Amino acid sequence: MTTEREIKETVREHYAESARQVKAADSSCCGSDTAENVISSKLYTTDELQGLPQEAVVASLGCGNPVAMAELHEGEVVLDLGSGGGIDVLLSARRVGPTGKAYGLDMTDEMLELARENQRKAGVTNVEFLKGEMEEMPLPDGSVDVIISNCVVNLSPDKDKVLAEAHRVLKPGGRLAIADIVARGDVPEELRRSLEAWAGCVAGALEEGEYRAKLESAGFADVEIESLREYTASDADGAGLGDLLQKYGKKGAEQVGFASVIVRARRPGEGGHAFSSLNVVAGEAVSCSPGSCC
Amino acid sequence: MRKDLVDILACPVCKSPLELTIEEEAEEEVVRGKLTCNQCSEDYPIEDRIPNLLPPEMRTA
Repeated sequence: MTTEREIKETVREHYAESARQVKAADSSCCGSDTAENVISSKLYTTDELQGLPQEAVVASLGCGNPVAMAELHEGEVVLDLGSGGGIDVLLSARRVGPTGKAYGLDMTDEMLELARENQRKAGVTNVEFLKGEMEEMPLPDGSVDVIISNCVVNLSPDKDKVLAEAHRVLKPGGRLAIADIVARGDVPEELRRSLEAWAGCVAGALEEGEYRAKLESAGFADVEIESLREYTASDADGAGLGDLLQKYGKKGAEQVGFASVIVRARRPGEGGHAFSSLNVVAGEAVSCSPGSCC
Repeated sequence: MRKDLVDILACPVCKSPLELTIEEEAEEEVVRGKLTCNQCSEDYPIEDRIPNLLPPEMRTA
């Protein structure tokens, strides 16, 4: 039986290694390069990446563009759960401007160090990185306008706690915009384990319905979950899972049971800004074409 | 961390406000120091400008 502590240690070690690889100028991360690219590449526009340190871009291990989906406003306070190399924090800081703040929370020393370096290179001052856990956020109740996260919530062994904490630290009317991996339907256990290890590095993706239910029981309203990319057998094949897929008769364009999604929700209450329609925002933020993105 | 960050931080365990003690400072930032939760009688270290706010039982890897 894997304990929560063991899961966290595995995740921490995995991302520490990714940070070390970025520092060593080697961009490969979980799985092979190809696998990582399918999930994490082409999520940001060239305009967004302009002026950001290369290390922040290379260390970006997300599966969506939560900053674009969050529709940030000048002066807002943003918290990024699992901030990694800091790309989404730096992008947020730019959008909220000097009157706003962007906080990055991460539990991995190597990633925090990398994020601080990237912050220095980017010359951004309205940013702070905190070492901590998303299951026990070190912030007071109702202190944040927007919570973002990029492919990190799936890594938590206690997602109910994460969502309850997110609800607590958000101001009434505050917004949640997270990119994440979800599981789809019935996948044979052996295949599921390997696919999860590929996509999220550690098993833990929820099904869309479970995600929605957990958000609602944490007190969130206006929950929307939109698919950004459904992974196919060729994506997983590129990650070296070909033999396994063949065994289960999955090939080519067939879906393998995982998707990148954007999850948005609001803490009920007066105040804050509303979201625009997700379709409009998603269309503008990510110019996806089959096989070329997310 | 900047000194005024303490105003928005809370103890990860009991969520009470924290008290800042500075041991080393540079360019308006706290390089080394601690954040104390008087409620839990717990110190959270600040190392290399980053506050370590992991819950005490998670702090030693």
